[in-house]
Amino acid sequence: MTRYLMTRLFYFFLALLVLSVVTFALNWLFPGDPLTNMSGIRVGQVGYETMLASRQFDSTVVQQYLNYLEHIVRLDWGLSLSTGTEVWQDAATYMVVSAELVLLSFLLAVLIGMPLGMLAANYFRHNIDKVILTSAMTGYSIPVFWLAQLLILLFAVQIEWLPITGQINPLYAIDSITGSVIIDVLLSDSQYKLAALQDATLHLILPVLTLSSLPSMLLLRITRNQTIEVLQKPYVKAARARGLSQQRLLFKHALPNVLQDVLPQLTFIFGLMMANLVIVEHIFNWPGAGAWLLKAIIERDYPVIQMVLFTLMALILAINLLVEVYRGWRFPMTREERYGGY
Amino acid sequence: MDLLDIRNLTIEMDGPHGRVRVLDKVSLQLKEGEVHSLVGESGSGKSLLAKAVIGVLNPLWDVTADRLWWNGKDLLAMTPKQRRAITGRDMAMIFQDPLAYLDPNATVAEQITEAIPAGDVTGTFLHRRVDRKTRVANLLHRVGIRDHDAIMQSYPYELSEGIAQKVSIAIAIAHRPKLLIADEPTTAMEPSTKEQIQRLLGKLAVSQNMSVLLITQDVASILPATQRVSLLYCGQMMEHGDTEKVLERPAHPYTDAMIKMSLQAHAELAPKSRLPSLPGAVPTLRHMPIGCRLGPRCPYAQKQCVKAPLVRHREAQSYYCHFPLNEPES
Repeated sequence: MTRYLMTRLFYFFLALLVLSVVTFALNWLFPGDPLTNMSGIRVGQVGYETMLASRQFDSTVVQQYLNYLEHIVRLDWGLSLSTGTEVWQDAATYMVVSAELVLLSFLLAVLIGMPLGMLAANYFRHNIDKVILTSAMTGYSIPVFWLAQLLILLFAVQIEWLPITGQINPLYAIDSITGSVIIDVLLSDSQYKLAALQDATLHLILPVLTLSSLPSMLLLRITRNQTIEVLQKPYVKAARARGLSQQRLLFKHALPNVLQDVLPQLTFIFGLMMANLVIVEHIFNWPGAGAWLLKAIIERDYPVIQMVLFTLMALILAINLLVEVYRGWRFPMTREERYGGY
Repeated sequence: MDLLDIRNLTIEMDGPHGRVRVLDKVSLQLKEGEVHSLVGESGSGKSLLAKAVIGVLNPLWDVTADRLWWNGKDLLAMTPKQRRAITGRDMAMIFQDPLAYLDPNATVAEQITEAIPAGDVTGTFLHRRVDRKTRVANLLHRVGIRDHDAIMQSYPYELSEGIAQKVSIAIAIAHRPKLLIADEPTTAMEPSTKEQIQRLLGKLAVSQNMSVLLITQDVASILPATQRVSLLYCGQMMEHGDTEKVLERPAHPYTDAMIKMSLQAHAELAPKSRLPSLPGAVPTLRHMPIGCRLGPRCPYAQKQCVKAPLVRHREAQSYYCHFPLNEPES
């Protein structure tokens, strides 16, 4: 396990390094002055000359890259070109705002996708399976941006159950401390705490539903196919011959073996959610990292673009690392496969 | 009373070319504590018979029988739940490829523990834990595994085939079944491992007073402790009876051929002579012969053989043939 862990960590940091090379190169590929793209200080502005020296722009590219790495490690991403504030300072709140949305959607996707997938596999080719699979295919084929508009039209405009956009009604005057509305409301000492909490939850429903629709349907199909395959394996038959109940078969023998192959797909699904996050946050006017990235791209705010891209990709890599380590620990067989035995 | 009483068990399935009878009126009786070998080439339906008894056949197939009785109770008339209860309590099965039949993501200890009946372990939570562990260790000892600590923590992929088969036997005997069905347990094994497993099965049958239904491909690898033997060909019963009688004086041409084809018989052959074998090949499901299914391959077949023969008896053996061999002189 130690060896496995070390290899995984090594690859994780290697990937991060490659990623940093790419973002470093972006400074030259973006139009304009590389130093401005990197630090957010324009040519001729106060401090440009000092920055030129401190970023070692008089030295070789390798030196510049090492210096760039050092800044990344210190979380110094420079200043935003449009607002002039520290990028990392802004990022903290934006990230938490997005994290709330992403985590809830991811949780919902897992909670919908996996149980329904197993249910469908359990009733393979029965009516239950057909109904679940058909709805999964429908959900799978609807584009996210269209689904979002549709849900807004139906739930917010037509029957007026849910608010259209935003995080919370501004009339509640909840101060943004952490960025996550739910936590902010709980921390606040507003006298309408309960009403505010309810309002924030209502605001969350549509974005979470939209963001989780595609991942949950994907997960459903993957889980279903994997479960069907596992349920036909000899060891499940043997367990059935031992007179075990169907529930025990499903949860004790099928589920772990299904998870073994579904877990790596979670990384992929997470990456997919990151892509959809931008769309969903924009449509629902959700002040998160996705919307921020979109705004930065429109405003050509290169330090911000760099930082958000790097962080999102690093996050996906980190999730991948977590999943692989857990998988290697829980399913030792997968660890051995890598080395062809021992 | 017989422990297992099967009369005229028929299994039919719908194929792309119409209905096929994969098992044709097979009868088999098994007494308590008896070691019974079921011999048949691949495709003869011997595994189907075992699966029909355990109740894990494909639900799309039609299973009919005059009797499929377990201890006097009709298995076919039971609900799936009742049947599962009986299977889980009284029967157990081991398979040819033990590694494929063990859950790859559960340790040996977990899998054996699961097979120990819940009623066996009592006491407080901690007490139960310790109790379970000793029980698992005992079971491993009983199947001849000494370093139980190492094996208990292993995953199936870390085991050798012989050890894995021993583990699956340990799982099988964990709930002290009355019947152990062994579906070609040693077919793909090395000779030394094969013998270990065979000896173990014979020993367990005696010490646990457990019936064993051993399924093999040839008469050479039946258990030394076998009391009765049945021969199956293409889903039809050919002959069954006391092992000694059947092997010494086979009544059915198929039994005769199987004995001659077995490895031991080859020792007496002259050098460079042809190995004895039946002409032709096992028919496919699409082209099942009518009547006695051995007909087209049988050296003694005559016109009458297009009608399935009824059972005949001779001392302690029964056979299904119009023209039996080795008839006693009258």
